[in-house]
Amino acid sequence: MLSLLEIQHRIRDAVIADDAAGPLLPLLAGGRDPAARLAIHRHHYQASLTRALLDKFPAVSWLAGEHFATAAAQAFVRAHPPAVPCIAEYGADYPAFLASRAGAERLPYMRALAELEWHVGKVSIAVDRAPLTVESLASIDASELPDRHLTLQSGLRYCTAEWPIDDLIKQYLSDAAPERYAFSAADVQLEIRGARGEFRIERLAEAEFVFRSAVAGGVTIGTAAERALDINATFDPGQALLRLISAGLVIAIDKPETDA
Amino acid sequence: MALSRVRAMPTASGAGLRLPHLTDVVATRPSAAWFEIHPENFLTNPHAAELLVDIARDYLISVHSVGVSIGSASGIDRLHLARVQALIDQIDPIFVSGHLAWSTHAGEYLNDLLPMPYTRETLRIVSAHVDEVQDALGREYLVENPSSYVGFSTSTMTEVEFLSELVHRTGCRLLCDVSNIYLSAHNLGSDRDRYIADLPADAIAELHLGGFTPEPEEGGGEVLIDTHGSRIAEPVWAFYSRALKRFGPKPTLIEWDNDVPALDVILAETARADAVSQSTFAPKPSHALAS
Repeated sequence: MLSLLEIQHRIRDAVIADDAAGPLLPLLAGGRDPAARLAIHRHHYQASLTRALLDKFPAVSWLAGEHFATAAAQAFVRAHPPAVPCIAEYGADYPAFLASRAGAERLPYMRALAELEWHVGKVSIAVDRAPLTVESLASIDASELPDRHLTLQSGLRYCTAEWPIDDLIKQYLSDAAPERYAFSAADVQLEIRGARGEFRIERLAEAEFVFRSAVAGGVTIGTAAERALDINATFDPGQALLRLISAGLVIAIDKPETDA
Repeated sequence: MALSRVRAMPTASGAGLRLPHLTDVVATRPSAAWFEIHPENFLTNPHAAELLVDIARDYLISVHSVGVSIGSASGIDRLHLARVQALIDQIDPIFVSGHLAWSTHAGEYLNDLLPMPYTRETLRIVSAHVDEVQDALGREYLVENPSSYVGFSTSTMTEVEFLSELVHRTGCRLLCDVSNIYLSAHNLGSDRDRYIADLPADAIAELHLGGFTPEPEEGGGEVLIDTHGSRIAEPVWAFYSRALKRFGPKPTLIEWDNDVPALDVILAETARADAVSQSTFAPKPSHALAS
């Protein structure tokens, strides 16, 4: 007789991997065809998670077509079951999976677009906090600033792409369907900010992006400034810090423990 | 163990609170006795959690988890349980409940409430998990009877016997899903009236009602799918009245999780549940017989 663990392992395979219930069948009861009844759970697993991915990455469907997107989502659901019960967390690896699918080579920017959608989804459910004001800097000795860390709003992400995917997603959001759309490779550095159902995508100059993403990554203001200056010798860290604070993106300035 | 933190809960009906209705409820404060939420919709959604905390100031909340998975032989997800506890700490719900089912297996979440045989082994595992959940939460856990499409020939006890023994061993209470009893009895050919007759009425803290979808089966007949995507079926209302007669007035939740309509539609179903309850317990007019 199979243990509960063995039964659940076989049901797991029948639900996710589409394996025949096999040795499970003699144990099942219900209806004329108990295997068909078990398949109701397989269908629910497949349909509910496929729907969740399509809802989470609508621009991918817009770009690649419903057929491609649905087939990719179904394959992902079979290959990569969720690890946690919060489906909002499901799909972080989906952009990379999309890029590995046959046919994805004709859309080399699809992965980056999907990653941008993932970030947009995350920042849109964030909650922003009261930002620091520029005046609050006055209480900090300027000589100490390079050693300080900044805590940024939680609804903030930084990403780079080799295609102007921000333009692409704007096309999607505007529901535009131009007869001809010239889309050429171009490096972009993007800041995605959002909270409480809203989001905004901004393209940053490279040094500004390096500074902000380094600060977001947890390094000190001084280290972030050095990285930005490596990109652009005329970069002004003081002005960059003021711009960051003025944009309402900083919620705290902390003393450093260790530098990243 | 029997931990009791159950506050006074109205016997009026409540509504499942889903993400599309959060901002409406915050803005309009509709007339509703209470709401039930799935914590999994809020644990990784700070904006939704913020709105929920606001709503919890004015409404009683019941927390109904779909991810604790007390039936998993590979163990419950303790990290998830801790996250649910953190949410509970913020909103102080009136009830916390989950399903007699399993949904996680060896680190994977199967996004469904899956069946298991009712055996001594299963009872031992589920009882241990209910004890663990109640210890972690510091309160009674309500266990819901599942919707079933398939059973096990290896079961050595009925679902009611299993639930009754679970209550006896753990001190948990029951969330009786009336629609699930109706649906499972249809799908598995069991006696639904016998089910409510044998269920320990004293242990029942809450009732559920939800819509289901009939689907034709190969070879004839139909299977009822627990879709929670429609109004309560008419025969279920009559069965609900019989269940109330057996259990007494209980807070009843209207579940609607798919094709979610405007909140008014769901609240209209709660009003109907209240009307059924009132008519079930209304004094019957007596006739003066002429002598």
